[in-house]
Amino acid sequence: MLRLERAQKMKPYRYLAVLLPALGLSACQTLTVPDFNNPGIEELTGTPTASAVIAAVQGIFIDARSNIANAAGQVSQLGIIGRESYNFDASDPRFVTELLIGPLDGGTPAFGGNHWFPRYQELRDEFNALNGVDKLLDTEMAPADKAGARGFIKTMQALNLLLLLNTRDENGIAVTVNPDPTGDPPPIVSKSEAFTEIARLLDDAQSDLGNAGSSFVFQMPSGFAIANTPATFLGFNRALRARVDVYMQNYASALTNLVASFLNTGSALSTGVYYNYGVGAGEVANALFDQSEVRIAHPSFETDAQLQGSGEPDRRFQNKTLRLADPVGDQASIGIFSDLDFTIYPSPSAPVPIIKNEELILLRAEANLGCAGTAGAISCSGDSDAALVDINFIRQNSGGLDAIDAGAWAALTDEQRLDELLYNKRYSLWWEGGHRWIDWRRYGKLAELLVGEPASFTVAQRYPFPVQECDARATPPAQGC
Amino acid sequence: MKSRFVLLLALLVGLGATSLEAQTRVLSGRVTDALTGEPVVGAEVTVPNTAIRTFVNDDGSFTLGVPTGAVQVLIRRIGYKRYLLTVPAGQNNVTAELERDVLQLEEVVITGVATGVSRQNLANAVGTISGEDVAEVTSQSVEHAIAGKVAGVDIQQNSGAPGGGVQVRLRGTTSINATAQPLWVVDGVLMSDVAIPSNQNAVTAATGGNNPSLTQDGQVNRIADLNPEDIESIEILKGASASAIYGSKASNGVIIVRTRRGRAGPPRFNVSQRFGTFDLSNKLGSRTFEDAAELDGLFGAGTAASVGFTPGVSFDHEEQLAGRNALSSETSFNLSGGDEDTQYFLSGLWQDDAGIMENTGFEKQSLRFNVDQNVGERIRGSLSTNIVHSLAQRGLQNNDNAGVSPYMVFPFTANVVDLSRRPDGTYPTNPFERSNPIQTLGLMQNDEDVWRFTTSGRLEFTAARTNTSELRLIGLAGADYFQQQNELFFPAELQFEDDDGFPGTSLLGNSDNLNINVNGSAVFTFAPTSGAATFTTSAGIQYETRDLNISRVVSRGLTAGQPNIDAGTNVAVNEDRQRVEDLGFFLQEEVLTLNDRLLLTAGFRADQSSANADDTKLYFFPKFSGSYRIPVGGVLDDVKFRAAYGESGNQPLFGQKFTPLDATFNIEGIPGIIVPPSTIFAIVGSPGLKPERQREIEGGMDISFYGGRATFELTLYQKTISDLLLTRRLAPTSGFANELINAGELRTRGAEVSLALVPAQSADFNWVFRTNFFLSRSKVTNLPVPTFIPSSSGFGIGLGTIRIEENKSPTQIVGNTGFDASGNPIEATVGDVNPDFKWSFTNDVTYKNVNLYFLFDWQKGSDALNLTQLLYDIGSLSADFETAGSTRRANGPLVGAGDTRIYVQDLSFLKLREVTLSWRLPDEAVANFWGALRNVRLFAQARNLITIADYPGVDPEVSNFGNQPSGRNIDVAPFPPSRSFWFGLDLGF
Repeated sequence: MLRLERAQKMKPYRYLAVLLPALGLSACQTLTVPDFNNPGIEELTGTPTASAVIAAVQGIFIDARSNIANAAGQVSQLGIIGRESYNFDASDPRFVTELLIGPLDGGTPAFGGNHWFPRYQELRDEFNALNGVDKLLDTEMAPADKAGARGFIKTMQALNLLLLLNTRDENGIAVTVNPDPTGDPPPIVSKSEAFTEIARLLDDAQSDLGNAGSSFVFQMPSGFAIANTPATFLGFNRALRARVDVYMQNYASALTNLVASFLNTGSALSTGVYYNYGVGAGEVANALFDQSEVRIAHPSFETDAQLQGSGEPDRRFQNKTLRLADPVGDQASIGIFSDLDFTIYPSPSAPVPIIKNEELILLRAEANLGCAGTAGAISCSGDSDAALVDINFIRQNSGGLDAIDAGAWAALTDEQRLDELLYNKRYSLWWEGGHRWIDWRRYGKLAELLVGEPASFTVAQRYPFPVQECDARATPPAQGC
Repeated sequence: MKSRFVLLLALLVGLGATSLEAQTRVLSGRVTDALTGEPVVGAEVTVPNTAIRTFVNDDGSFTLGVPTGAVQVLIRRIGYKRYLLTVPAGQNNVTAELERDVLQLEEVVITGVATGVSRQNLANAVGTISGEDVAEVTSQSVEHAIAGKVAGVDIQQNSGAPGGGVQVRLRGTTSINATAQPLWVVDGVLMSDVAIPSNQNAVTAATGGNNPSLTQDGQVNRIADLNPEDIESIEILKGASASAIYGSKASNGVIIVRTRRGRAGPPRFNVSQRFGTFDLSNKLGSRTFEDAAELDGLFGAGTAASVGFTPGVSFDHEEQLAGRNALSSETSFNLSGGDEDTQYFLSGLWQDDAGIMENTGFEKQSLRFNVDQNVGERIRGSLSTNIVHSLAQRGLQNNDNAGVSPYMVFPFTANVVDLSRRPDGTYPTNPFERSNPIQTLGLMQNDEDVWRFTTSGRLEFTAARTNTSELRLIGLAGADYFQQQNELFFPAELQFEDDDGFPGTSLLGNSDNLNINVNGSAVFTFAPTSGAATFTTSAGIQYETRDLNISRVVSRGLTAGQPNIDAGTNVAVNEDRQRVEDLGFFLQEEVLTLNDRLLLTAGFRADQSSANADDTKLYFFPKFSGSYRIPVGGVLDDVKFRAAYGESGNQPLFGQKFTPLDATFNIEGIPGIIVPPSTIFAIVGSPGLKPERQREIEGGMDISFYGGRATFELTLYQKTISDLLLTRRLAPTSGFANELINAGELRTRGAEVSLALVPAQSADFNWVFRTNFFLSRSKVTNLPVPTFIPSSSGFGIGLGTIRIEENKSPTQIVGNTGFDASGNPIEATVGDVNPDFKWSFTNDVTYKNVNLYFLFDWQKGSDALNLTQLLYDIGSLSADFETAGSTRRANGPLVGAGDTRIYVQDLSFLKLREVTLSWRLPDEAVANFWGALRNVRLFAQARNLITIADYPGVDPEVSNFGNQPSGRNIDVAPFPPSRSFWFGLDLGF
């Protein structure tokens, strides 16, 4: 019976008496685990600190360079469409098929649907940064510093929208972000409305910069060395404004704004504001530097080059290319070849121009020329002699070409004078952001790019909207979807 | 919840007194096989409802101290039917002849966290595989050894690369964005099956194109570390109706693995030695050039001259790359034994598989020690420990954008040049592309080195026992830790290495994973003396943490070719930390009644987790099931009808509830914070994020015939998965890519049929035949967000992609069928990844000492996107280019008319997965040769010996994106498949 007693002592409830409180204690405990890997968006949208806002402002430099110098970025793809370059990457024949034959497909994120999402990520960051600046107390950031930050953010916002408009053109773009990212998408506005908004942002920024102190409260990379104070940054702001004016054919305004820009025939043509790239940890490399002979130059760059007095081709062609031992063909065996490699970006940390002195001089020439109309019906109403001064300056100093004498210039038609200007823009700004495609499109000359190409080739007028943008809208935009 | 426990308490307090009677007489006996008369060594002999227990010795005898009166004795051994006899008071000697239970009708299947049910009463179609079946043919990862053995279990390897990377899909599609892998429970521990990418993307730039996801790295899911030869049994809970008790991690099913344990008896030592080789089993071939004009026509004038083309001479680049047949070997041993109180099992493995390419292969070393110890009559402690080292050398595979992955290079490399290693050790430059794959594989290194330690301790305490009831308290604690190191080295001599201006690349990834589990459960069984019913009540609590920390370094521009990461001139680092804490409670009641013919079960699980947005909220997952066996006369033994309902969940992943910003970028050292610049990470987390919920109902019928010599099982099921973790695509103008929300509904229906027969059973000739047939169909029944393309599921609609649409299959492939008059692509469903059905056949035939075993696995339907063939056609180098490839090219996407369907191809296949022929030496001969030897077996075996498929890719099992719920079967430059042949010897001492 001893055994029996011992067993009775072990009545099950004793164990449950221990188990139940343990369960009760452990139930409904919080199991909070923070995000170990990233700061949360609340750090900007809640009650931000000055250091978080400064980090957000500096983040705009990181955003701005994205999608510019990568393999499928804006310089490379717009270069392909504008017949400045090829990409013969065997892994992806769409660099040939979609960009040269077409049509651009909004369903492929890296091609027809490209150059959109990264720009709106930047716009979101610009919105967050501007909001953050507004939320800071004056004791956290002085009013003059806030004004400087606002002037900077709005200028970058305008540049961002201009890049968007360059790819979408007549399709239009959204110029704002919805404060709630999960809310209704912002409206798509027309090309002219977008230009108006870009101009407004630049002018707003101009007045903000006027209220700023003698320096910015945030750090700037070396590409902004000529614009690293509110006063000098205004020169960059006005340079962008002048480009917008020329695109809008507001030539008088362009000439005014160029005066306030950093245009200076006394300084180097390469003086300007640049996107920076790097190879260190957390940096982004410039993929336009490429030794695999995949991203190469369009052969027309050689055949169209004017000759110097010595008989040598345009110095810009010589400086920017290198002849390969064997021609490289497209891997899809469509039958296009090139034996010209680029030397324009000599290392993975080479900067890419945003806007430079050489372009400003040519913008002044373009504004002075004052052309309008489309190919075959171009008429120019400006001061063509003033334009010739700048064109000759670039011909001689950049191309090593002979100056065009006044008599010969006078004998040219309006369209021939415009073609001479566009020739110089093409050779001076070659592979720096799709200038050729944009400029030729502005004057209705895209058909000229097809000379000598296979019959199946076309030149895209503009990019469609990405399919996600169309899908997310109850009523998709009238065109571009 | 507490009220349930009060109820339980009331039940338990009503317990009667215990009645452990004195053991005063010794019963001795002999247990033999009814068919052969040989001793059934290791059979367990017990007196039911007592702790009295012993095991049968080598000669078939046993002795057992039993009470004086009449007593029931139960004799059990896996593979034999239970033998219950009543021994009268005066009888002290018994003999028992056990009948074989070839189809394992009587095995106990683990259905709860701590309880099991005899297979013949089971209310769910739980798949079980014995350790012997798992170890039929050697495999690198345990999933290979499951393929074709259980209905409803779809196993597909992602490529032929050595070391694993296998998707297990239990009963069709169960999610879209959450994890796709089942939960693995090994000896009670949740064993991590994460797949950690090697970061080879830093070289292949696979994400540089359309798809920014490291899933193209060809990663290995880590269950590959389990040694298949250590497995005693595998039980597969295929859906929520069976797995509800595992709660919010069980939506993809649960695979319960028990490892082998010692048995009382003299020490037994088994050693096995295998030698074999791996052999490239399929090649694509390449276009042959007749003359220089043909070559020049394709590659430009002068090509033939500059590459040194000789008409009639061609080089088989695939053979040069993957034609290696190096010697592979595997040595394993185990030692087991013990007495009635202590049993031990010790095993070791040394596996060294040479891959078909240079610098590829797989090594695994494993040491396991399992010990069980009784402390008195009431306490049983068990310890399981396993230390494993594995080294997978994976080569280079899958999509890339840098011209380095071998099957991305071959489509553009004419076979007119010799790419093989020169006698001086150097390699020729590939004149057609950026790299020479034979050089790349010859000089590179891609090592995945894993050390893993898994241990669990279990303490079972029989707190109270009477002749009608028993209370067991079970505590279990376990840890699963592994460290994975990925070392990839691409020396500067590689043809492609200076393309980026930084010759030489070294990648280092270090990952640590620690899973800790603590469970406590109580099991109360009550069986009134009337025998009317048995009640089993179980309740418990489970706490678990999972920590994963991955850090990666990419180092480029290696000074003087030094592989150390600090020798690079361009170094990038990355860290990712994850932690999930889970707490769960469960309660379950089982009633077995009506002469053990009716089984009813009800229970629930309540889970809270740090991965949910509200980490204090409990989510409840109920289950109910019932089965009834109808006794039938004649050839039918009995017919069982069963039905089960259950719910389970699929947790959000770590971090999905947050809206993160990115602080890892800088510009010239100036830091900034930005919205993550990637479509993968720019996600807005929903404030209400919770687990997906699966509701499954299954019903079926099991029939057993001819005294257990034939069984037939039919199961129908329907799963409804709601609160899907959906990524709602945000307009790109928001600056974010997706918002993660719970919404929508997915339905999966399916059928499973299994038939097992023992056509012959005699002392000399035994034949067991099994066949498993299953199919499933899924449909997105509700999608409140716009149609979307899940991540890692293709490269845009033009090339074909998986797309989620309401009222369509979640695995449909959408593509273009051409362009309309205005030049817009016409979209259509062009295929489906999900197979029409799978059907497997196993035969196991023994004649005297010779055994032949083989397993055929048949898949019908299932479409692939064969982008590898597209690449060959674009390069105009497909083997059939002149007869068919040029037409495909002209009609297909990218360079042709844009018809995606050209490359959507049928993956139907028939594979001879496993075949073994073995000869067991006659026992007398063995004994005469050496007295210590118990048995000797010689065998020859092969895995994936024959593949019959119309599919023109290298292998019909392929997945560029690895394990994915829906984005599978995308064929982009996979690692080619191999078959393996083995010869070996088993010795038993």
